[in-house]
Parts: sequence; structure tokens; C-alpha cells
Amino acid sequence: MDGVFTVNGKKCEFAFKTDERLLFTLRNHGFTEVKNGCLEGECGACLVLLDDKPVNSCQVFTASAVGQDIKTIKGIGNLHKPHIIQEAFVDVGAVQCGFCTPGMVLASYALLQENSNPSKAEIKSALDGNLCRCTGYVKIIEAVQLAAKRIRENGGHHE
Amino acid sequence: MKELNWYYPKTFADAGKLVRQETVLPHGGGTGLLLRNLSNTDGLIELSHLPLKTINITNGSVEIGSVCTYAEVVSELKKVDPNHILVKCLHHSANTPLRNRITIGGSIAMFPPWSDLMGALIALDAKVVLIGKNDGEFPIIEYINDKTLRKESMITAVKFKNADWRSDHYREIRTKSDMPTFNHTVLLRIDETKIVASRIIVVGTTSKFTCVYAVENYLNGRKIDDIRSAKIESLVSLKFTGSRFDDPDYSNIKAGIELGRMIQKMVRS
Repeated sequence: MDGVFTVNGKKCEFAFKTDERLLFTLRNHGFTEVKNGCLEGECGACLVLLDDKPVNSCQVFTASAVGQDIKTIKGIGNLHKPHIIQEAFVDVGAVQCGFCTPGMVLASYALLQENSNPSKAEIKSALDGNLCRCTGYVKIIEAVQLAAKRIRENGGHHE
Repeated sequence: MKELNWYYPKTFADAGKLVRQETVLPHGGGTGLLLRNLSNTDGLIELSHLPLKTINITNGSVEIGSVCTYAEVVSELKKVDPNHILVKCLHHSANTPLRNRITIGGSIAMFPPWSDLMGALIALDAKVVLIGKNDGEFPIIEYINDKTLRKESMITAVKFKNADWRSDHYREIRTKSDMPTFNHTVLLRIDETKIVASRIIVVGTTSKFTCVYAVENYLNGRKIDDIRSAKIESLVSLKFTGSRFDDPDYSNIKAGIELGRMIQKMVRS
């Protein structure tokens, strides 16, 4: 079947199987920044923002997301123009193998859109669906705190 | 896997007609159907175009549309009552991205043994609103026990009275992301010195859930100072299936200990 989606601000028409999960539809159409991790909704590597809410794309039927707004990590920043959160992850050293990073950054982005001054507990809660097997989370939490500080200093703007 | 037909009804009448087809299932956007073998299913009814994402809180009553996610229920109920039992139950369930997908309707229809939702709804004497072959409102216990109610019908909402309970929820887990082996939901109504009424539900037993009447009878009318954890523990006799991680006898003992602790904490808070 076919469906129209808005991915990173652009209208896209995708063909997909009727029982396909959004993760595979996105990857099959070149959005390989969405990582295939556990396929159970536990690890957060496949996290995307669906109508601005963080969801595991492996836990979404593509057919149920037709017409919706999807944001992947490339939708918030790139190598030439990184987002404040991406810069903070690099500056703090919150990236090791990098497999979990797209999901971590997007979960942080969703949090900081709503709350630019989160407590440590609120950061941990917002990232409770993202697993990292390298860093031990200390640097990741520091990166979110640094990004939040920079966003506040930037008058609440993420750009 | 055979091709599934997807239907996108825009009215309840259309959805009601579609759900009467035996091999068509409703899908509210949740995660349950992804785990299910759909080889005998011809089609899925996508419910997101129906006005089912509503939470109405009026005059002590709450009505939650079946497509509302756990995150939406927590967010809305928190505004009026941060200590509401559903806030306590659902806030810690699964994880943030899953709470943005798991729906109330799907969780009631599937009722997994690790459900964080169902204990609270049973304790609150909730009613399930159905359309399709079994149009109407049904007590949640009737919906759970009578499998024919699910046939060719779908949940549009759940309703309950928002009575003034002191409440708490306990999940038996090893790590935060675990599905609980069992969970307790306790509602107490307390006047100054004694317990006036109580509801105690354990989810995860061999019969999916158990109302612990022995402890309710012990508590009702009893002075707070006379409540003993050891007595509560001795009154708990629950059957668990067990797994390679959990011994049924251990789970029963643990359930008693945790229930005693919970009630002591609640009456003294």
C-alpha cells in the first residue's frame, strides 16, 4: 500500500507492506539514521518524533502513521548545522559507539521542547526508554544538562 | 503473512459496522497487535480518525476515550489530581516512548498479566463502553469474564466515579523496565481514626487478578493503630503460575509482605 507522510518537514510518499513497521519503512526509504535495535520497544534506538511525541518506530504500524508528521535525528540538525543538543553531546563526550545517540538526542529534544530547565530526575525519566551499553549514562545526562543551559542562555531558542 | 486491509472509518456508525466482521480487529495505535499473530486477521480498523482521544472529568466522574495513551491519561489526570491512582499506576508503566503509544482501550481488551492499568480500573469499579454487536456499558469485571463481549465489538471509552480514595500502587519488578511479576492496587477510605472502606486488587495471579477480600474484611472498620502488617501477610494466599525467574510460593510470600508494607505506609501517611 502507499501513504503520504511528512518526514523532517518534507512530504514523502512511501510504498510499504500492510503489516510493516514504521522503522523499516523509514530505513527502506533512506532514513537509515533510524536504528534497528531490539524490535521490542525497549532500547529506543529507533526512536522518532511522531507528531512531536517520542515513539519507538519499531512499535508503530506504518499504515497507522499515514498523514502524520515524522521527525528523525536529521530533522533537527546535521553535520553542517548541528542542533544545540547534538553539539552538547559532542562537547561533553556523551557519544561512544553512537548507535543509541539518535534516539537519545531526539528523546532529549522532546524533553527540552517542553521543559528547558529539567532536573536530573526529569532527564532520567525522559530517557527511560533509551538504552546505552557504552557510556553508563553519566555523560549523556551531563550533555542534556549542558544543552538545557545553552537553550536557556539562548532565550529558550533551540537554534 | 497475508495482506491486511486497513480501514479508516470517520464515524462511529462506520466503525461499528466494520467491527462486526469476524476477522477484522480495531487498532487504536497501541503496541499489542504487533505482538499478536495476525494470520487469521483480514483487516485492521484504524481508530485515530474517530473522536476517541478525549478525557472528560466532570462532577466526580471520569471518562477516557479508548485511543488515549498512558502518557495522555497521566498528563490530564495529573492536572486535577496528582495523586490519582491512575497517575500512580501508569506513570511508571513501560517507558516514555511506549507510554506515548500504549492505549487504554487496547490494554483493557488484551489485559496482559503484567497490566499496570487493570488493577486500578477493577478497584474503581470502572465501566467499559462498547460499540458493535454488544453495544452498551458493562462493568469491567463482566467484560473481563465474559469473552463473548469482545466478539465483533470494540471499546470506545472507560468510565469511573472519581471517589475520594487514598491510593497506592506497587509493582514487583527487578529493574525499572521490567514487566511486573505482579502488582498491587490499594484504595482506602479513612476517617480520622479508622478505615471505612478498602479495595485491594492483585494483578498477575493465575486467574489474572484477585480481589483480596480477606484483607479488605480485616481492614474495614478497623482502627488505624490496630492494623498489623504481620496479620495482613498471613491473610494473603495468592496463586501464581511462576516462571523461570519467579517461584510461585516466593511470589505469594512477597505479595503478602509488600501488601502489608503498602497499607502501613498508606495509613500512616
